[in-house]
This record gives sequence, structure tokens and C-alpha cells, in this order.
Amino acid sequence: MAPCTLKRMPVLRELRIGIIGCGKIADGHAEVVKYLDGATLAAVCDREPLLAEQLAVRYGAGAWYGDVGEMLARERLDVVHITTPPGVHLALTQQCVAAGAHVFLEKPLALTAKESKALIDAVVAGGRQMTINYWPNFDPPAMQFKRMLADGTLGDPVHVEAFIGYDLAGAYGQALMSDPGHWVHRLPGKLFQNMMDHIFNRIVPLFPDVEPEVHAFAYKRREAVRGDGTDALLDELRVFLRGGNVSAYGSLCSHARPVANTLKVYGTRATVEVDFNNRTVVTSASQKYPSAVGRLIPPVQMASRYAAEAKKNLGQFRRHEFHFFAGMSKLLELFYDSIRRDAPPPISYSEILRVADVMDRVIEQAYPAQVEEDAR
Amino acid sequence: MKILVTGAGGFLGKSIVERLLAHGENDVRCMLRDTTKAKGLETIAAKYPAAKLEFVSVNLRNPSEISKALAGCSMVIHAAAALKGSPAEMFLDSVVASRNLLEAVANELRAIRIVLVSSFGTMGVADLPRGAMVDERTPMEQHPELRDVYSHTKLRQEQLFWEYRAKYGFELIVLRPGVIYGPGGGHFSNRVGLSLFGRFLHLGGNNLLPLTYVDNCAEAIVVAALAGTDGEIYNVIDDDLVTSKQYLAAYKKQVKKVKSVPVPYVALMWGSRMVERYSARSKGQLPAIFTPYKTRAMWGGNQFSNARLKSIGWRPLLSTREGMDRAFAAFRAEPEKTK
Repeated sequence: MAPCTLKRMPVLRELRIGIIGCGKIADGHAEVVKYLDGATLAAVCDREPLLAEQLAVRYGAGAWYGDVGEMLARERLDVVHITTPPGVHLALTQQCVAAGAHVFLEKPLALTAKESKALIDAVVAGGRQMTINYWPNFDPPAMQFKRMLADGTLGDPVHVEAFIGYDLAGAYGQALMSDPGHWVHRLPGKLFQNMMDHIFNRIVPLFPDVEPEVHAFAYKRREAVRGDGTDALLDELRVFLRGGNVSAYGSLCSHARPVANTLKVYGTRATVEVDFNNRTVVTSASQKYPSAVGRLIPPVQMASRYAAEAKKNLGQFRRHEFHFFAGMSKLLELFYDSIRRDAPPPISYSEILRVADVMDRVIEQAYPAQVEEDAR
Repeated sequence: MKILVTGAGGFLGKSIVERLLAHGENDVRCMLRDTTKAKGLETIAAKYPAAKLEFVSVNLRNPSEISKALAGCSMVIHAAAALKGSPAEMFLDSVVASRNLLEAVANELRAIRIVLVSSFGTMGVADLPRGAMVDERTPMEQHPELRDVYSHTKLRQEQLFWEYRAKYGFELIVLRPGVIYGPGGGHFSNRVGLSLFGRFLHLGGNNLLPLTYVDNCAEAIVVAALAGTDGEIYNVIDDDLVTSKQYLAAYKKQVKKVKSVPVPYVALMWGSRMVERYSARSKGQLPAIFTPYKTRAMWGGNQFSNARLKSIGWRPLLSTREGMDRAFAAFRAEPEKTK
């Protein structure tokens, strides 16, 4: 009789997790942490205790607080998720690091690249780790794309197109547009600053490590004038970038439908389109055969590639790998793992800072008056 | 007596203002977030020559804006609440907003009588047997996290009002309306059913619907505000209630055809267990929109009493039949609002 072997799952050191900032996105963090092995949502905190309370009650967090210092002093947290507006990220990070906690921050990291650097410096000086919630880049299609890039399927990137759609009447957009006092209106780069991490964090890793040219063009397409703080918000952004031999085009688009979220990379060997919403990664078919007959084949090839993606997605759904925040789960698994092993975090600090630099330059061009005023 | 009505521009708020005017309470201050909604109130006021309406634009999220609205008021009818949005937004607009209002009331030197428009959702009905009577003695919900976010916000809101009353001693009347319906409102309560994949799942079966026509509900609020006893709760439901099945049949006849699929309670409970198990097993890949707890609370089926409300003199302005006729006539003319 063959010996019976039991496959043992490695026992993960349990990490005590806290959340600071109990607004809308905190639900996503709490939901992901709830199902992650080796993590416990120990406490949540918001300067409005009623908001902290509701999050704790709905997700079964051990405690809730209205004061960060009190939470950090009592809870001995391993990791703190900071999901507040970015203006307070630096101060909160310093406070968490001083209390011995690693930090996981919502984007944007800070108000400026300089402040982002100060934040990372504070983490490094404190001997802790940080990462930023670039979760779509860890979604299943993004991971698939990274494998294709690594195995040479694409060859070298020549041109990149990153497109983010935004619905001003959607769940997040409505909260923003119905409240002139919403914190996004107070960001130097307003809506763009809150969203464009997801454009440039896809482009920057494909660029050589040189300072890129950045040409930004922004405008307001909606016509309604409300006579309040929402009127200053621009809603369409186009950015052209070039770094070494690679060029890129980034768009944030509030009016095109459907509200898309895509990355298209034109490589020296192949062109690949990643659709983050539909979770497909498809290589463009090329015409290999001559004349009219040759033009009949590529659409059939594309259809079969999309069919294969549908089959893959069904398989992921069947295996319970198709969650909305699958990318955040993956990113947190990697981040928590890097903390446990004291290994490098899943997103390099240099990449985070390069993204922050590009964002600064876009904001300077999209809202020049605002930047000048802030500088004064 | 100057009366402040929060949420005055809303579906129920407008009716409350009208019923106040109808009862001769002409000095009404209407609190609105969006002043464009004042137009509907001005149309109402035009019917009452003695009406003296004031409009104040206040976002209850901002404590500093509230005291100006309270100045000179002897009564507050708090009808503002969030019906949609993310959980955080709903808590901000229902619970935090209420706390801000209560803090402002506590800082006033004059005694202010508070009337809170709460909800049936605050009552813990999931553990009651099917067919049990639901009235003002029904205990409050013990597991809001297992219910929907709206019920959770309304429960926490009502708790806050009782906590502040205990601390500051102001007069408090709480009304808990059932399903408020009427022109301008939703066509179907979830208690009747849900639209899913192009079909209407009829989940309410022969359950009695705790309906209250919007004007009847507003009348109840005003009667309780003027004649109710401090510290009392009044459940608000109309007379001659219809079942979910009767409501759906009348809607199909008077408004439009609906492709409905009746789901028996036994099947619904079985499905709810399956959905809950799947959600847990898949680590939340699909949300547990149905759970046995939610199903018992929403579709378990109860009896309802409005005896306490009647004891202070409330009578419905319209019968349920008349209310449905009016609502359905309006529904025929207006497209259904998406939730």
C-alpha cells in the first residue's frame, strides 16, 4: 500500500490589519482582507467614529476608533491600510511607521511627487514596507499580460495606449459631482489626479528608466454650468509620452461609452490588447495569406482567441478566482508575503515615484493656474 | 409655531409640508440640499394663502450650516435620509447627518420637539414566526449587519435619537412607516419582488404589504407631531392592506404588463441558503444578495397594526384602493425610476 501523503498548506504568520479612513473604498479593502488567509481585520478608524463603527459592524472588525493614535497604541497592528484622501497620507504614514506598522496606501500616494518621495523615505527610514493599491495591475488579465511580456511574446514595446473611462454619473462620479465640497475638487489635479495612477502605472513599467517627455492636453466636455465648485473640474485628458524608443498615449475619458479600461501594447513581435473590464488578453491577428482570402482569416482567428478567453474566464469563475477585486487580493497576498519574508515589496519604490513624477507634469499642464497658486 | 422640515424636497417631505399647511401650521421652514426642489413646494404653498414657507439650503453633513436652520424653530420633523449610494455615503447622509442635527438641537437654548421619520426596517422581524403581529412592541433589529444597508442606517439613526433624548431630555416622537408609495415614488417595493435578468421575480406571494400612501403617511407624521405622546413610537400603515399578489395583479391590470415569475417562500428560502453558501465558499465572488436572514425579514410575512396611530386621531386620507388607483394612474404616465 502506498504511503498516504497529506499536502500541507504552509502556515502563514497571522497579520493584524487596520484601516484608516472608512469611506467608500474602505469597503473593498475590508472585503478583500476578510477572505485573505493569514490576515485579520483587527481595527478600523475614521475621524468620524460613526463611519468607523459601521465598517467594523458590517465586516466584523475587532474594534473601531475615532483617533489614529489611540488605535495604533492599543492594537499592535502589523499593517495599516490608509484609505483617506491623499492630503493626509504622509502624516498618517509617519504615524503608522512610528508605531511599527507597514502601510498599504490608496492611490494617489500624495499631493505631489516630492511628498510621495518623503512618504517612501519615511517608510524606509522606519525599516517598514509600503505599497500602493495599483490593484488592476494585479488582476488576472494584467498578470497574464506580464507573463507574455516576460516570455517575449510581444518582443520589445514600441507604443503603448492606456485608456481609462470614467462615468461622472456612476457610483463614484455621482458622489463627486453632487458635492462641490468633495475632497477630489480640492486636489491640484482634481479628477485626473485621483484616477491617472491607473493610466501611468501601466505605461511607466514599459518605458526605459529615463525621464520621459510628457505632453498633456485637458478640457471640459460637459456643458452644464452649476455655478459651484464642480465647474472647475476638467473631464477629458489626453497625454502623449515618449521615453527612449517607446512612446505612449494615455487617455482619461468621461464621455465615451462603454466606460472602458484597456491597455494596448504594440510590440516588435506582436500587439496585445488587455481589457480590464472584460478580462480578456488578446493578441492581434495579422494577415499571413495574400489577397481577399487572406483578409477573411484574421477575424476568424480573433473570434477563436476571444472564445478561448471566455473559456478561460469561465474556468476562473468556476475555481472562484473571478472576484471584482481579484487584483487587490493578489497584490495584498504578495505584499503581506513580502512583509513576512522581509523581501522586496511587489511594486518597486522607483516605479511608484516615476509614476508620481509623470503625474506632477500632467497636472502642471492641465491645471497650470492651480499649480501656480499652490506654489505661491 | 415655526416647524423645520428636513428633506422637505423629497418624495415624503413635500407631502409633510402640505399636510402641515392643511393642519393650519403655516410657518414652515423647508430644509433642502438642492434648492431647485423648492419649486414643487412653492406650487403646494400657492394652495394655502396663509402659508409662510421659508427655504434653507443646508447639507446636514456640515454641522456649521445647521444652527441657522434651527433658529426660531420649536419643532423639527426629520425626514431627510439616504435611500441609495455606497454604505459610507448612506451612513453619512442618514446617521452622521442625524448626529449633526441632534448636536445642533442639544446646543439650542429653547426646547425643541423632535419628530423622527424612522422605518419598519429598524424592527427585528427575522426571528418572528411567519404571520406574527408586528407593532410598536416588536424589538429593534439585533443584527443590522445581516440586513440591508438601508435598514442598518435607519436603525442606527433611530438609536441615536433615543440616546440623545436620554441625554438631553428633549421631546421625541418616532414614526416607523412601512412601504411608502404614491405618485413620484417607486413602482415596486422589494417586498413585492425584484427584477432580475429581464424577469420580475415575485417574492411576496400572499404576504400582506405594509403599505402607506404618501399623503396618508405624511398625515400620520403631522398628527403625531401635533398630538403624539413624547417618547412614543407609531408604526405607519394604512387600512385595508392588500397582499403582494393583489398589488402585482392590480399593477399589471392598471399600469403595464410585467413578465413575472412567482417564487414560493419554500423555494426562496432554499435558494437563499444556496446563495449564502456559495458566497461564503467562493469567498465573496458573488455577493449574498439573498440569505435566509434577509428572506425571513423581508418575505417572511407578517400582520401589522396601526391601532396606536389611530388612538391619537389619525385616519387615512385615502383608502388603499384609492391610493393604488392614484399611484398607478401616475405610474402609467411616468417611466419607472431606476434604483
